[in-house]
Amino acid sequence: MTDTPVTLPTSTFQFSATEAAKHVVLILGALIVLLPFYVMVSYTLKTPVEIMSGSGGLFGTQTPFTDAFCLKAGGTDVECTKSALAYNFGSAFKKAPLLRYLLNGVAVTAAIFLIQVVVALPCAYALAKLRFWGRDAVFSLVLFCLLIPVHAIALPLFIMLAKLGLTNSYAALIVPWTISVFGIFLMRQFFMTVPDDLIDAARMDGMSEFSIIWQVMLPTAIPALMAFAIFSVVAHWNDYFWPRIVITGDKSLFTPPLGLREFRAGLDGNDFGPMMATACVIVTPLIICFLLAQRRFIEGITLTGMK
Amino acid sequence: MSRAYLWFIGPALFLMFALLIVPILVAFGLSLTNYSLGNSGAGFVGLDNYADLFGRSSYIKMFKASLTYVLIVVPASVGLGLGAALLITSVKRFGDLYKTVFFLPVMAALLAMAIAWEFTLNPSIGVVNRALEAGCGTMLETWTWYADGCANSFPLWLGDKRYAMGSIAFIGIWQAFGFNMVLYLAGLTGVSRTLYDAAEMDGALSAWEKFRLVTWPMLGPTNVFVITITTIRSFQVFDTVEALTRGGPSKSTYVMMYAIYEKAIKQNLLGIGTAITVVFLAFVLIVTLVQRWLIERKVHYA
Repeated sequence: MTDTPVTLPTSTFQFSATEAAKHVVLILGALIVLLPFYVMVSYTLKTPVEIMSGSGGLFGTQTPFTDAFCLKAGGTDVECTKSALAYNFGSAFKKAPLLRYLLNGVAVTAAIFLIQVVVALPCAYALAKLRFWGRDAVFSLVLFCLLIPVHAIALPLFIMLAKLGLTNSYAALIVPWTISVFGIFLMRQFFMTVPDDLIDAARMDGMSEFSIIWQVMLPTAIPALMAFAIFSVVAHWNDYFWPRIVITGDKSLFTPPLGLREFRAGLDGNDFGPMMATACVIVTPLIICFLLAQRRFIEGITLTGMK
Repeated sequence: MSRAYLWFIGPALFLMFALLIVPILVAFGLSLTNYSLGNSGAGFVGLDNYADLFGRSSYIKMFKASLTYVLIVVPASVGLGLGAALLITSVKRFGDLYKTVFFLPVMAALLAMAIAWEFTLNPSIGVVNRALEAGCGTMLETWTWYADGCANSFPLWLGDKRYAMGSIAFIGIWQAFGFNMVLYLAGLTGVSRTLYDAAEMDGALSAWEKFRLVTWPMLGPTNVFVITITTIRSFQVFDTVEALTRGGPSKSTYVMMYAIYEKAIKQNLLGIGTAITVVFLAFVLIVTLVQRWLIERKVHYA
């Protein structure tokens, strides 16, 4: 910069000024976006006293404190003196069966995705590569179903599940999502780009249509499938509306967001830190995956903007 | 050719009917009844539920709350999304970093972040009001709103009916604009460099002129898409309302999804719940039809 000829000082200065102004706006925006994340993390690092009084600086003083509940429960002074972090995450897992909730979340999310693939992939293959009577009608039906928002069918599905006695069950959390018309649409569009020669060669080798799907088409479809996986997993791990409706009493079936919500219901000042620790545990896995594979995540979630 | 295809499309077709088509029809049907779970039958009440929806003040408040939310969140999150995309493409460095940060709220479980926002906005221990109180005694007090806050108290945000909808909408904007930004970033890469060069040759030199003459028209399809999807999603707001305000104070945040949940699930009034569902579906359908019409009509320049 210092070597810039003196003939152009104003224009260079002006230029960097607009650039700086843009960064100021962007940084302000970033700070607001990060504010609740900061609150969440800072609460997990503060003792209940620091949270209530607003002391302890930005991230708490990190001096060990004595947990009164632990003393009441008969713990010794040494056992009950701990860091804020240990207290908050320790209570998060102890006061509520958070581990159970997390396992439920993983099981439900994984089951939904696997069933969606098992249902959607063959259908997408048939729509893209097989010729049969009524194919266009089926595809039109898929396009029509794309327009149906999940919130619009929640109540009838709830009634159907209630009639079958299936509310408060894993089935209630999984079954309504087993059909993903979006998955069918996405995979069909992808299969259209796969050359017919590949399939003809496989048929010539004597492969059945069934094994063509799983041994020839599936491997070629990995990128599209990844995008769909991200969409599906993010949507169902974070979902709150549907679990709230069908899981009414049985806490052993709670998904992570339901568990957090339940935690909040019995709130007292000592629980703010543990609650934010729970929130951290729920949010962190997806954030880490996102940071590791940003491009895929953004692709997966936006291409599904279709929904 | 074997009949293998029947096995391939059969399960999907069956599930589409059982889990999508039939429920929609059931929703229409039940909205004409006073059905409750546990009752042996349901009485046909004709359009009574709809008459209630458009006649009773609590449902009028519901429509008002939902429309207010949509009318705040859609323009703000679309505008901020476009603004962020334009700024990010125009800065020389750190563009990807900003993009990552702005996209974080899209990924994070909304319910968890809603509770983090609740602590942030808490009137006694939240950082927002603490920061506002720290500004008392400075020249900020020349602003009457601020002076009033210092003299009495700063807003209760989620607990005050004048601010609750604004606060909920703010969280909605916070969550949605990063998604819109990414869609706009994709749209912007589709605008050809040569168009800007041509505009420059025609004398459009300022950044604003280039935006008005090239970027904005070329973003037409993206705009339609982004506005449609944001509108539909805004009609679906539920997590923040259920966790933070439960529709209150005085029904100021009583949005449609929460009303459906409260009436149908908590109070077992499935007739009125499905009637709200049908109205919601109608809103979504209108938005979708407007989108189709716009796309076919005039937004294609490329």
